[in-house]
Amino acid sequence: MDASHPAPLGIADWCAPALTADLVLAALHDVIDPELGVNIVDLGLLYDVRVDEGRDVSIRMTLTTPGCPLGGYLDDEIQTCLRQFHAIRAVEMQLVWEPPWSPELMTPAAKEQLGWRS
Amino acid sequence: MAVVTTARRGRGALLLAGAMVALLAGLWGALALLGYDVPASDTTAADHGILMSLGFLGTMIAVERAVALDRLWAWSAPAASGVATVWLLVGGWADGGKALLLVAGILLLAVYAALQRIQPSLHNALMALASVGWIVTAALWLDGWQLFRLLPWLAVFLVGTIAAERLELSRLIGIGTGPRAALVAASALLVTAAITAVWSPGVGVRLGGAALLCLAGWLVRFDLARRTVRQHGVTRFIAVGLLAGYGWLAVAGASWLAAGYQVWGATFDTQVHGLFLGFVMSMVFAHAPVIAPAVLRRPVPYHRRFYCHLGLLHLSLLIRIVGGDALGSRTTWQIGGLLNELALLTFVAVTAAAVLAGRKGRSGTGWLPDASTRRLFAGLTH
Repeated sequence: MDASHPAPLGIADWCAPALTADLVLAALHDVIDPELGVNIVDLGLLYDVRVDEGRDVSIRMTLTTPGCPLGGYLDDEIQTCLRQFHAIRAVEMQLVWEPPWSPELMTPAAKEQLGWRS
Repeated sequence: MAVVTTARRGRGALLLAGAMVALLAGLWGALALLGYDVPASDTTAADHGILMSLGFLGTMIAVERAVALDRLWAWSAPAASGVATVWLLVGGWADGGKALLLVAGILLLAVYAALQRIQPSLHNALMALASVGWIVTAALWLDGWQLFRLLPWLAVFLVGTIAAERLELSRLIGIGTGPRAALVAASALLVTAAITAVWSPGVGVRLGGAALLCLAGWLVRFDLARRTVRQHGVTRFIAVGLLAGYGWLAVAGASWLAAGYQVWGATFDTQVHGLFLGFVMSMVFAHAPVIAPAVLRRPVPYHRRFYCHLGLLHLSLLIRIVGGDALGSRTTWQIGGLLNELALLTFVAVTAAAVLAGRKGRSGTGWLPDASTRRLFAGLTH
């Protein structure tokens, strides 16, 4: 849908709870790095998630290394994941390299899944 | 919903076509090398090794890095190797095609330099070092060296690239600096072996065998795949492909170490195809469900049938190397080789079918929001 000509809000949008960054973040737990089997949230790849005007989602994220070719792939996965929200008008994903990703950004859940010793 | 693309669609598909040409030509040439009576395969047979290693695998790796860097000029590396492949196949002033292959390697090194500027890292520096293996292979081939003299440098490029990728992923499983240093040391030993092999192939190949064995031991002991193999779906499939490849890396390493420098025959066959088919190609099979959607920007849903071509690759290699090379049966070796080709063609066909099927699907590896997600967002979702 053209972001400059958004569709009018429907009755379902008025009845639904407000879309928040926390809800988007929760949904993105379903976007999985296929080689690791761990979602991108727990891997610590997401630096910032914002929802503007309750409809425009902007995501600032990184990859474990700039040489990883999965940036576009994860963009596609995020778009697919968030397509389920009819309230969303646009999703913008920005890849950034500062600060660099490090294992400290992983959640305890991700570390446990990947067999870290506690 | 507006879709923001992080890479341009179509370019990857075009350049993967170059890799496919190299693969099919290399496989055609292999039929002649296996002793099958096929017509007009002299050029493809003579250049089989280069077509498979730099033409196919090299172009694939260059495409991956171009996708990662996402800058127009980065695509010049796989474009150059793709054009070089076609040049070599069409014939006429072969040195021009060989020189272009050299240029492609230099361009790949430039891509790594650009990545290093974005974010310096040891693993990226090691990948850059591995790409020097491509450059040296192409330079010496242009200078008239036989490809069997260049195997250690091809190993530096392909094995070194994979080792650097595994080093990067090792950060995700929290292993210590000691094991990480050991992997770097094994990679450095492989480079040392290749340099030695330029002047003393006998010593260099045995040293390379020791390096390959060290790398195999490290990967079996520490690699991420040992942990992810306990998961399911595509994650387990990737891990199975990797672990099976590590076994062949050990077989090849043992053969390099025990037999040393070979130029032809059964042991040479084990040294070459144990490494490049058993190890490297298994990596390609394993990662295809991830790399194909990343490059093509098309969904490639994982399916259990992917185990068919992976299994056929390893089974056919067992037939070829154990029944053919080790037990000395030429017929078994020929059958094994033919089945190797069938495994590769099946891989291409199954992956292409998955790409076509994925056009109707929803996501890259068959993701669908689970029931709990749907409940959580009731009222907000379609």
